[in-house]
Amino acid sequence: MDILAFLTDGLLIGFVYGIAAMGLTLIWGVMNVINLSHGSIIALGMFALYFLFVSLGINPYIGVVIVAVLGLLLGMIIYAVAIHRVINAPHLSTLLATFAVNMIIIGLGTTAFSTSPRNVDFSLGSATVGPVTLLGTRVVAALASVLITAALYFFLYRTTLGKYVRAVTDNRAAAELMGIPSARVLALSFGLGTMLAAVAGGLIATFFPFTILSGGTYELKSFVICVLGGVGNPLGALFGGLILGTFEGIIPYFLPTSWVPVIEFILFVVILLVRPTGLLGAKK
Amino acid sequence: MAILEINDISSGYGEVQILWGATLALEPGKITSLVGANGAGKTTMLRTVMGLVKPKGGTVTFEGKNVSQLSAHAKAEMGLVLVPEGRQLFSEMTVEENLEMGAAPKRAKARFDANFKRVYEIFPRLQERRRQKARTLSGGEQQMLAVARGIMAEPKVLMIDELSLGLAPVLVLDLFHTLQKLKSEGLTLLLVEQNVQMALAVSDYGYVLAHGKVDLHGPSRKLINDTHIRSAYLGM
Repeated sequence: MDILAFLTDGLLIGFVYGIAAMGLTLIWGVMNVINLSHGSIIALGMFALYFLFVSLGINPYIGVVIVAVLGLLLGMIIYAVAIHRVINAPHLSTLLATFAVNMIIIGLGTTAFSTSPRNVDFSLGSATVGPVTLLGTRVVAALASVLITAALYFFLYRTTLGKYVRAVTDNRAAAELMGIPSARVLALSFGLGTMLAAVAGGLIATFFPFTILSGGTYELKSFVICVLGGVGNPLGALFGGLILGTFEGIIPYFLPTSWVPVIEFILFVVILLVRPTGLLGAKK
Repeated sequence: MAILEINDISSGYGEVQILWGATLALEPGKITSLVGANGAGKTTMLRTVMGLVKPKGGTVTFEGKNVSQLSAHAKAEMGLVLVPEGRQLFSEMTVEENLEMGAAPKRAKARFDANFKRVYEIFPRLQERRRQKARTLSGGEQQMLAVARGIMAEPKVLMIDELSLGLAPVLVLDLFHTLQKLKSEGLTLLLVEQNVQMALAVSDYGYVLAHGKVDLHGPSRKLINDTHIRSAYLGM
């Protein structure tokens, strides 16, 4: 297979990784919480899409929209139950709180779904352009990711509620003084972050098999991407996703696939050493 | 009747108590000043009134309602607005967006267009800079924006913490004149100042805070001639 084919594959998936990482980076940027339940929420997104498709026969792309709504609600509930009470506590408390949520989801998920792999048997066919074969599901997932990024930016920069999110990010106390209900804005932001994670999971489920434990891999990728793109910077997350996707595409061309995480994490460490604010630089 | 009454308020941070039963009242349509040395508890007073710090004792009454336990955003919604010390702008947002954020309360949204025009009239400089991020403004412009953002909230009582801090005296005078204009339009103001002389010069009534209590209070004109104040705070 031609290297161009590897590259295209990686790039298309990179868009979806970007969406997943955007969820992580949004929550970090707004409230300085590292969401360790990120991976399990990605996995829940996969399962939600799976059941909508297999049990209810809903088209996966309509399914993704439903997954988005469910992800938003789930995130707001998680915020209210687990995060809000520790939001002003030291980082260790929020890490443990989100980790606890992670363990609960994985425990319940393992009981309910077992850990045998599932896959969404759905195809949009493929198109061949020169040496490159484009899988329909991956092209649609990439386009959806671009659309979601655009929608997120529209929300943050053009709507009042989105501006509230930015105001709370910028200065929570001042936002509160100006009459912005900061706790509700934080809940919404956490919901948006989990929504992005769930949607990324749903999109990934349309082309990779998965179990309830699959989220962990994507969570780690999200961390690498956040560092690549600059923590707290959604557009950076998309670019970081593309960079990571490219690596994932190209590395197997030269080396056994098992080298992929090795190289990814070497990259992670090197960037942290050289440019701790990320390649694209965070705003703070 | 006072529009804002702070009655026997005690407050602090953790084990450290800062306010020890301070009492003051704001007459509607007047400028009241709260002065005192650094560390007297002025900022803590404002933070407690707004609910950013929960009072340990005492009550805050706004328009006859006990608001002691309300959150800051709920008070802003009612028209009790603080321009905090150090400006606390949304530094990564534009001037215009900062003003828009000031208008978060429902009462303010209804008057958005009029207030927007009004703050640009009062501070034409902000209109010139409306697309700039707040952090790129000069200190004086940032203070203008902080006050303008407060006005956008359509306050009934506007409390300003250290308006004069770090600003050139000419600019401070300008800002004080603006505040007097706002007063003539019916706004109630509380100025919290280290700059005792200037604060007493523009206000109608003054409170002197020392060691977490109100040490002295009275019409500003009287306080400014008080020998104790002249020696303790004005260096005369």
